[in-house]
Amino acid sequence: MIYWGGNPAECHPRHFTKYSLTQKGKFTPNGRKDRTMVLVDIRETPSAKAADLFLQIRPGKDFELISVLRALVKGQRVRADAAAEIGLPMQQVHDLVGMMKAARFGIIFFGMGLSMTRGKHMNSAGVLMLAAEMNAFTKFVAMPMRGHGNVTGADVVMRYSTGYPFGVNLCRGYPRFNPGEFSTVDLLVRGDNDACLVLGADPGATMPQPAIDHLARIPTIVLDPKVTHTSRLARVHITTAVTGVSAPGTAYRMDEIPLPLRPALKSPYPTDEQVVRRIREAVQRRPAWLPGRNGKHGNLVSHGM
Amino acid sequence: MSLTVVKNATCTFCGCVCDDIELHANAEKIVATKRACSLGESWFKNHTAERLYPEALIDGQEATVDAAVEVAADYLVNANMPLVYGMSNVTCEAQREAVSLAELVGGIIDSHTSL
Repeated sequence: MIYWGGNPAECHPRHFTKYSLTQKGKFTPNGRKDRTMVLVDIRETPSAKAADLFLQIRPGKDFELISVLRALVKGQRVRADAAAEIGLPMQQVHDLVGMMKAARFGIIFFGMGLSMTRGKHMNSAGVLMLAAEMNAFTKFVAMPMRGHGNVTGADVVMRYSTGYPFGVNLCRGYPRFNPGEFSTVDLLVRGDNDACLVLGADPGATMPQPAIDHLARIPTIVLDPKVTHTSRLARVHITTAVTGVSAPGTAYRMDEIPLPLRPALKSPYPTDEQVVRRIREAVQRRPAWLPGRNGKHGNLVSHGM
Repeated sequence: MSLTVVKNATCTFCGCVCDDIELHANAEKIVATKRACSLGESWFKNHTAERLYPEALIDGQEATVDAAVEVAADYLVNANMPLVYGMSNVTCEAQREAVSLAELVGGIIDSHTSL
């Protein structure tokens, strides 16, 4: 079990005990004793205490370690100084490969420390390739450690409705997928969008400043239970009920198990679902968008005609 | 005042989505949680059913949801390349509506995954 670029002890406190490390399973009757845990990170977080092996790598060297692991797994020769660049003794990397191959069922949980640093989605792709290639030796999988509540649900819903998990462009009437081109930060930093609907997120608090500046320039609409940083720079804010606390529905766990929500409170506000539906119905009452309609050559056609 | 007890409640703070939480709530707020971690406990206790915020704001001024929905629809219809973003703290039902809206306005839809 490899945790890479994540700190579950502080960010997913029940991950060890409820799902991954200490639970007893059919083939792991002794729970923790039947498992080996490895942590790969750039600093020693509280999660390192739970690990059997902690590999502290130099910042931004994730892709290098993935590449070395992939080479060693296949039995290829690796230059001795490759490990030094990563910041590890070569023997530790060899030990890790040994552990991975000796496992009956291995998993790599990768966090934002991997997917948000130098290399970005190439790092994620590398980890997925490594897990795929490990299947020549043993059962091996990879799973992202999802931060927010139902972000897995967003992947699943977009996948079954458009065929792609995120960053889907529907401008041409059919879905197109290209991370880096149709992903939010890139779009906003380039200034491509001329309106934005934000729901269940607060990009005004988390995104790079050029992206936030663009959100403030264009008409931004925010649906959120609170008046957020993004709400303050938006033209429209609508307060909604809190998912899971006062709004019912379904949420996906990070291993893609859908779970029903059991709200304990009754909110005075409408749910996100109701508000988005009302916006959609309001859009349907308006003339359809056509290329050029917003330019000089107006051409109005109604929906449903 | 008597407390409502919700068993096997689902916590949507982090991606673990623990569904074995017990919540004790009065009409306005959740007063006790069982089995939730420290993050989950603060998540449940920090969100109340009180009316702390105006139901909608247009250009920073208080407005009705009806008016805000109409203004939002105008902005989205008039945009050449609208973006629908976020969707990590909403239900799958809301996400489906969002995909449908993005398709209707010919926009781009994206989640936190792309960050």
